[in-house]
Amino acid sequence: MSSSVYYQFRSQREPLRINFDGTGISIFDLKRDVILSNKLGDGTDFDLSIYNADTNDEYEDDTEILPRSSSVIVRRKAPAKPGRGTAARYANANAPPMSVINGSSGTGRKPTDFGSGGYNNQRRPLPTHQ
Amino acid sequence: MSFQRQTMEAEPFDESDFLEFIALGGGNEVGRSCHVISYKGKTVMLDAGVHPAMNGMAALPFYDDYDLSTIDVLLISHFHLDHAASLPYVMMRTDFKGRVFMTHPTKAIYRWLLSDYVRVSAISANDSSALYTDADLSASFERIETVDYHSTTEVDGIKFTAYHAGHVLGAAMYFVEIGGIKVLFTGDYSREEDRHLNVAEVPPQRPDILITESTYGTSTHQPRQEKETRLLNLITKTILNGGRCLLPVFSLGNAQELLLVLDEYWQNNSNLEGIPVFYASSLARKCLAVYQTYINMMNDSIRKKFRDDRSNPFQFKHIRSLKNLERFDDLGPCVMVASPGMLQNGVSRELLERWAPDAKNTLIVTGYSVEGTLAKQILNEPSEFPSITGGGIKVPRRCFVEEISFAAHVDYKQNSEFIDLLNARNIILVHGEQTNMGRLKSALLSKYKDLRDSPEEIKIFNPRNSEEVRLPFRGEKIAKVMGT
Ligand SMILES: [Zn+2]
Ligand SMILES: [Zn+2]
Repeated sequence: MSSSVYYQFRSQREPLRINFDGTGISIFDLKRDVILSNKLGDGTDFDLSIYNADTNDEYEDDTEILPRSSSVIVRRKAPAKPGRGTAARYANANAPPMSVINGSSGTGRKPTDFGSGGYNNQRRPLPTHQ
Repeated sequence: MSFQRQTMEAEPFDESDFLEFIALGGGNEVGRSCHVISYKGKTVMLDAGVHPAMNGMAALPFYDDYDLSTIDVLLISHFHLDHAASLPYVMMRTDFKGRVFMTHPTKAIYRWLLSDYVRVSAISANDSSALYTDADLSASFERIETVDYHSTTEVDGIKFTAYHAGHVLGAAMYFVEIGGIKVLFTGDYSREEDRHLNVAEVPPQRPDILITESTYGTSTHQPRQEKETRLLNLITKTILNGGRCLLPVFSLGNAQELLLVLDEYWQNNSNLEGIPVFYASSLARKCLAVYQTYINMMNDSIRKKFRDDRSNPFQFKHIRSLKNLERFDDLGPCVMVASPGMLQNGVSRELLERWAPDAKNTLIVTGYSVEGTLAKQILNEPSEFPSITGGGIKVPRRCFVEEISFAAHVDYKQNSEFIDLLNARNIILVHGEQTNMGRLKSALLSKYKDLRDSPEEIKIFNPRNSEEVRLPFRGEKIAKVMGT
């Protein structure tokens, strides 16, 4: 069964949607899917936070399962340590693109090393003939 | 912090006494310039760029870190992508409701530059990750208002005036006044006389806060004449040796200046006749008319040239414009001026990959190279570099590599002289890589160390992205505001 959650970047006008199988998605997987589907790169450049759309409370536990049809706010933040954005741990996670959540959670997946590679040589070139 | 110490002695500052500054981009980096100042409930955003070493949303300033619906006025300093290319995104895809201003020539060139950006982004992104569409660009374009240099605009208690910044055609510094507090934002600026631009002006009033670029940190530019001689000698040597010269450029800005230099040199040196100079940028050709229209905004020498020759000085006599590489017969020595300036892709990259393996050829990097781009990496003279075609293919580098910067940014001497002339009590550094910005901050701090803890103390800030700078203001200025 295909389910969705709705998310909106804090500065954006329109909500977007992430589809997945099952009745819920972990915050970890949601973060990874947001990064992938918006092509936000390797994540060394930013931190990513997710908030409840009604209460504005941050989901701090990556293992928390968000029920389908929820609405959340996503915030791409300047990293606390420049070049060491914590979003890298989601961007680099090797998981099936849309993982099934079946009661157990995404805790088994350890954040990968996000310090290696560094900031500069991970950037992709800009598509422009300016 | 020292102002907190002062607070202890005097009456405590009220929340509304603080002017807040935040860099959403361009804090300890070059790229995606975007700064916000807010005071007494009025909010001004300065620039809305993208990062030249990144794609899609990752290239945006950290817009999620600010409530864009509170912005009253957005001022764009100049048309370069790192200052203007996320403007359609801000206007069409976010809660931003403010008014947007730029100078007339900036607006004219912005249109061409951004539709090119949209087109090229769409090709390489090949899906929906492009930030906005051409339709967004057109729809938002209508709502951009224009300002003249030296005339003051007032929007709901926010006053601002544009001054020449000397960086590219149309580039402006903005002198902004909110609730009696005066702020000067330099944007990218240059104080060096060149062939076509006015040098940056010193605004007539003393600002309380100066927000200045720090691209070149504490380094020193070679004098103009020496730089030109070095460039032309290197080109001549390469050509006489049977080699090709590649000069990557931003298609608008330093390209026009370089072409003026080359055209003049070819005019004065008949022995170079027959050696072709090419300029590969369809964008620049489209903007030729804009450069002609706004010659009245350039310096005296180019205006005189225009009057005397009765022709557009940007219609070059010795430079052939090249529409695309298919039409280029690569037969022997030549000079090729091609965009983009940081060799990310496109014509300049393609030619580099073709010419780099031959030791007779020369690459001359003429602009500022941002961290993470090939132009920056190749300055270290690697023995090979990755091909744009991907798949781990490497291109050997045997060609000669030289950096001769014609980037129209101030060096340390020019920046610190300008800072002295303005004599602001608070200086906020933006638009500089971390190391360069840090060096500039240390140099300025030691320069002004005798003023420390005096009423004339000069405070210097180099905030990271999204790190807030809060400056307390009160006293007569506030009283005056409340009286009005
Ligand atoms: Zn610029
Ligand atoms: Zn710039």
